[in-house]
Amino acid sequence: MEAKITESQKRKMTNPVIQFFRFIYLSLKILFIVEGGHGGTRNRE
Amino acid sequence: MSKIVVLGAGISGHVAAAHLRRKLSKQHQIIVVSPNSNYQWIPSNIWVGVGRMKSESILFPLAPLYKRKNIGFIQAKAIEFHPEGDDNTDKPYVTCEYVAGANKGESEKVTYDYLINATGPKLNFEATEGLIPGKNKTYSVCTYTHANHAWKGLSELIQEMKNGKTARILIGTGHGQSTCQGAAFEYILNVEQELRKHKVRDKAEITWISNEYELGDFGMDGMMLSYGKGAMKSSEMVQMVFEERGIKWILGSAVQKVEEGLAHYETLEGEFKTEVFDFAMLIPSFSGHGFKSFDRNGIENTEKLFRGFMIVDADYTKKPYEEWSVQDWPETYQNPSYDNIFAPGIAFAPPHAISKPRVSKNGTPISPAPPRTGMPSGITAKLVADNIIDMIKHNNKKLNHKGSLGNMGAACIASAGFGMMDGSGVSITTFPIVPDYKKYPDTQGRKLGKTFGEIGLAGHWLKLALHYAFIYKAKMKPFWWLIPE
Repeated sequence: MEAKITESQKRKMTNPVIQFFRFIYLSLKILFIVEGGHGGTRNRE
Repeated sequence: MSKIVVLGAGISGHVAAAHLRRKLSKQHQIIVVSPNSNYQWIPSNIWVGVGRMKSESILFPLAPLYKRKNIGFIQAKAIEFHPEGDDNTDKPYVTCEYVAGANKGESEKVTYDYLINATGPKLNFEATEGLIPGKNKTYSVCTYTHANHAWKGLSELIQEMKNGKTARILIGTGHGQSTCQGAAFEYILNVEQELRKHKVRDKAEITWISNEYELGDFGMDGMMLSYGKGAMKSSEMVQMVFEERGIKWILGSAVQKVEEGLAHYETLEGEFKTEVFDFAMLIPSFSGHGFKSFDRNGIENTEKLFRGFMIVDADYTKKPYEEWSVQDWPETYQNPSYDNIFAPGIAFAPPHAISKPRVSKNGTPISPAPPRTGMPSGITAKLVADNIIDMIKHNNKKLNHKGSLGNMGAACIASAGFGMMDGSGVSITTFPIVPDYKKYPDTQGRKLGKTFGEIGLAGHWLKLALHYAFIYKAKMKPFWWLIPE
């Protein structure tokens, strides 16, 4: 099924108040993923 | 005392040099060799290419910073590798040629105890006939000078459009095996937004042209993303954005020749077609720099160091797509023949692509090469620096710091238009970068949740925040190391 950006989604994407909280959330989430660590793959099994 | 030479001062080389300097005492020498006098924060070139940032905002001169931080700097390009030294010296060295200053054109042997090859890619424009930045109405945003040219070309076109001209804009990949689709994706969305801001959007037909089999492949075989409360394929997400912006697309295409306003390309079906344009930004293919290596007796042994890019601890055995695994990807970026040579960032030779390889009916390869830009470049550079530090401080030859792209996350914050209140961004994270189909068989090789997508103004703010944070970090200002790669 083809996905579309609805009018309500568009309003959320451009609402500065909602987006401010998304900015905080995204910053923390990305930090968590980046700082979540990395490592090898060969000796883990 | 150890001498560590870093070739290249891009994201990878600069990160490695900065961490080495911070963690090693002054008795150890760190020398950066780069033909570029400036550091540039490449991800922001997109905004230079639409006139929203001056190139001066994304760069700074390296020499004063390195002098202040006690890092040696030679503005030169590497020419030859001599990892065993020669008749005159037991020390391994790299022959470099000065590109500026009083010694311009002269060569020097730069000896080392440890070598970090962070020379990145060669922008291989020559692989596509007529693809020359600033010529034939084609542009690039791969460097700040290219991005400046691109903005000049685009702003002239916008003026013509304001005078009534209708225009065709083509953005995407300029070769059957280009990578960095993400940069082109950002640029097409920024150009589209600029046209709207200048009230000429209705006068332009904007087309995406790419070697991807599906939209949203990004050279990473596409992704299954968490999106909102559900999941979505990256192909669906990009299609949704393109349809919203009225952008057309041509997929599975290899641009083979560019003439004034004409892009000739071959499709996976084996057809040869031509697209007309008034402005094009096409990403070239990347290649190695064509370095040569010699043994102690002066006999060429390039095959020990290079296969295009530098050979590292990857599994280069040729195997079909179905047998590819995350274990093929390197963990330490150490050259197997010379344990004091490393190649983080884009400088290492990948074992194979990430996207499924495809060829046209005529046998032309048309599929993206693997992207290894930004975040992974910084992470791999730091782990290489940490391993060298361990080798120096603790004489520890066992490399404890590992970071396979098959066990590493990455964030791609793609600008979709500049503006504090009317900007937009597509934020995507992926874990792991190389899909692990064994570990995550039901979600296209990625961990949902850690692989997610989001569209909105917050993405623009985030990209802008990262711009300032990473330039602060690159300038090695107080507590710069607290900012992760």
